[in-house]
Amino acid sequence: MASVSTAPAPGMHQIDLSKLNLHQLAQLKQQMDQELNVFQDSLQTLKMAQSKFVESGESVEKITPATKGKTVLVPLTGSMYVPGTIADTDNVIIDIGTGYFAQKDIDGAKDYFKRKVQFVTEQMEKIQVLGIEKSKVREAICMMMEMKMQAQAQAQKAPTS
Amino acid sequence: MTEEIQKKMQKELEIFNGVQKEYHKAVALKQQLDSQLNENKAVKEELLLLKKDAEVYKLIGPVLVKQDFEEAKQNVAKRMEYINKEIKRTDGHISALENKQEAIQENLNKLKSDLGSLKVSA
Repeated sequence: MASVSTAPAPGMHQIDLSKLNLHQLAQLKQQMDQELNVFQDSLQTLKMAQSKFVESGESVEKITPATKGKTVLVPLTGSMYVPGTIADTDNVIIDIGTGYFAQKDIDGAKDYFKRKVQFVTEQMEKIQVLGIEKSKVREAICMMMEMKMQAQAQAQKAPTS
Repeated sequence: MTEEIQKKMQKELEIFNGVQKEYHKAVALKQQLDSQLNENKAVKEELLLLKKDAEVYKLIGPVLVKQDFEEAKQNVAKRMEYINKEIKRTDGHISALENKQEAIQENLNKLKSDLGSLKVSA
């Protein structure tokens, strides 16, 4: 989803901020705020996904041939566990999305999580760059608004004095 | 005369709000489809990376059911095709709604200026 939202931005036409009136600027600022919020949200979601993948990757590291036959506690529900033994230390089954699971050997699983972490990190970096750009634009809008407001205040003062 | 225009404006506004609501719904649907497409793309890539004799399972309710590898690939491809079609359809829907919105906006602006000129002449 993150890569999708970036698409429409570069195609937008340029507008001269100084030509807009206060109301338009305020509207633009609101839009920027909204977009920044979307970025923040997706960053948070990505961060969550990233930590999940990192965690899974670490779990895979713990499975070695030496763990074969060892007992583990398998969670049946969040609060109930039954003892079990590890029968297969060579393969794991991984959720690859949309309900599909694939059996992979340990090295394959490690590689999978490494790739996923990398992918998510890349997306996060992309969004961060976009976010910085957007906040720069927002700042410019805020500055322009202030200037306009000051000009307006002065214009109001001038005739009375 | 003024009342008539005001009534018309109210009606147009109501229509406009309805269209806007529909528009937001369509955009949300498109976003959902986009994310589904992306997920399917990731799955497809992952399936292509697997070895020929890899075991693939599908989650049906709470159980994992073993699937034929080729069949799984075909299923994902089919689903992507379907989602792509849906995206195109919603895209058309969205642009149609955009046009509608513009037309209503124009109408509203015209009514507004009519009202303004009436007030001036009054």
